[in-house]
Amino acid sequence: MQRLLARLLLGVVVITTVLAGVYLMVVAANVHTARRLWAMENQIADVMRDNQALMTEIARLSSIPVLQERSVALGYQPAESIDYLYLGEP
Amino acid sequence: MLHGPDTRLRLIAVLLIAALLPILGQLVRLQVLEHSQYQSEAEALVRRQYGLPEAPWGVIMDRNGDLLVGNVPVYDVGIDITMITDTAPIAAVLAPLLNRTEEELLASMTPTESLETTVWRPLTKHVPIETAQKLKDLDWPWITLSPTWERYYAEGAMACHTLGFFNAEGIGYGVQAFQLRFLRAESFARYGQVSVDTKPLPGELAEGNLTPYPGTDLRLTIDRTIQAFIEGTLDQAIIDYKAVGGTILVMNPQTGEILAIASRPNYEPYRYAEYAQNGEEALFRDPAVSIAYEPGSVFKVVTVAAALDSGRVDMNWSYYDTGELEYGGVSIRNSSGAAYGQQGLQGILNHSLNVGVATLSTQVLGADLFYKYVRAFGFGQTTGIELTGEIGGIVHLPTDWDWSDSHLATNPFGQGIAVTPLQMAMAVSAIANNGVMMQPRIVAERRYPDGRIIPIPPHELGQPISAETARTVTEIMARSVETFGKVAQVPGYRVAGKSGTAQIPTTGGYDPQQVIVSYVGFGPVPNPQVVILVKLDRPDVPSNIRWGINTAAPVFQKVMARVLTLLGVPPSDLRAGQ
Repeated sequence: MQRLLARLLLGVVVITTVLAGVYLMVVAANVHTARRLWAMENQIADVMRDNQALMTEIARLSSIPVLQERSVALGYQPAESIDYLYLGEP
Repeated sequence: MLHGPDTRLRLIAVLLIAALLPILGQLVRLQVLEHSQYQSEAEALVRRQYGLPEAPWGVIMDRNGDLLVGNVPVYDVGIDITMITDTAPIAAVLAPLLNRTEEELLASMTPTESLETTVWRPLTKHVPIETAQKLKDLDWPWITLSPTWERYYAEGAMACHTLGFFNAEGIGYGVQAFQLRFLRAESFARYGQVSVDTKPLPGELAEGNLTPYPGTDLRLTIDRTIQAFIEGTLDQAIIDYKAVGGTILVMNPQTGEILAIASRPNYEPYRYAEYAQNGEEALFRDPAVSIAYEPGSVFKVVTVAAALDSGRVDMNWSYYDTGELEYGGVSIRNSSGAAYGQQGLQGILNHSLNVGVATLSTQVLGADLFYKYVRAFGFGQTTGIELTGEIGGIVHLPTDWDWSDSHLATNPFGQGIAVTPLQMAMAVSAIANNGVMMQPRIVAERRYPDGRIIPIPPHELGQPISAETARTVTEIMARSVETFGKVAQVPGYRVAGKSGTAQIPTTGGYDPQQVIVSYVGFGPVPNPQVVILVKLDRPDVPSNIRWGINTAAPVFQKVMARVLTLLGVPPSDLRAGQ
């Protein structure tokens, strides 16, 4: 009788330990995932900032005053007259 | 005493149970009876506001996707004053970095008496990334850097009235203020359970998406190249004619798309706070939509169109011009002061005869019919363009308390009636577009962060005149350019147009010296692709050339020639396949 009780008690302790271990494992994994997720959310925010910074830099480099300055430096001049060619239907 | 191990064991068991009972009782009290109270207290300990850096507002592009307004990442700098004891050396290091004096920084670091509990103090706003990096390199834990954004205007002051701005006080102008609900990013700040380092606990992350949601991007109908050209042309015209201001507007009559609008005086949108500080808020108003003026003779095309469309006159109609007409207690005279004899509709526009259009309004149309057309052309009401501060102008109707018979005689040549440049261009667009008037629009499409692209379709406002009338008026206007307005002609293209020279109303009359000159026209004829309006305020040139045909018309010609080239519209003879 006492042996049976001891086995039963041992079984309960083992099952409880396993369940607690699994619970802790799940919680730890959950926390770990949450941390990673939060870090990724922050990464997205950082990438957005980098993206916007690059967009404005491209806009600055391709703004009309910069393009005009570059064109003049390359020797381009405003087109004074344009000749159109009429290409008839084939 | 105690006899036998069983008895001792029982005693120990009883003692243990007795010791456990209070613990169990407390557990029941804490976990069951007072569970909710303690849970809320525990949650309160870990509940704090947390958030990701704010998302960027939507950007604004021109019709070809070139950036006009973007966002620059910047930082707000603060300091945790509980972590510092001696502020002077810190201020000495920060002053050159933050571009503030040591005294200013010391004042910022010192809480006022009423803020004794303050732990954090702001030092400065909107420092660039480079400065933020230098601050990070200091490795001072008491310095806080909060990421935020600053609006970036890629072309400086270009299209400032159209783009506008929106400040922290909630005051805004231009398309940015009008489209604020789309442009503004959703601010992400949530109140929830966080860890000691203010990171959200897992349950919070499971509740929903925390990714910052940026604002919606706008693609405008504005063409950056045309806009830059008309801005330069307007600046030059203002210098050439010593004008105090002006407006050039380019729109597509078939779709209502505004290709460019420029007005002077202008401002630099990123410096709006400085203008406001100097009391120069008037600069923020867009003269193209928010300031009305008496249009003068350009309005005659509306009167002629109305008369033709009413069916009461045709191209064979004529009247005898004596150079003067009495009506409603006023005497109407031609601007030249001369009499022109027998004249028809063509002659009225060729010579810009005030007496002619006054004859049409008073003797042919009558008040009801004339104002029916004025309203149908959109005058006296807003166009609905996506810009803040648009006004409807002033049109006196016969039912108004301040109506006078003289209005019917003066309104047909653009006096006693106030319109915005946009209204005038829109009305002429209807003539250019076979009588169909399209709503002017500035936003071509919205681009949502989730990838959806919603184009804004053209919207028809109505048809004030028939297609046949529109074609006839177009022909009259084109012939007028070919005969009396050659200065507006564009080589290779047929254009239609009308000049105007309007007096400026003052208290009790009109300014005897100052005028507003303008020219409105479209081309190429047939199938016009653009309507262009040029308006110059108070040109200071000799009185013999202080006319729209001498000042605004050459500017119109220059703009029309370049715009047709930029749009790739081939000359008329090539379009005809010759």
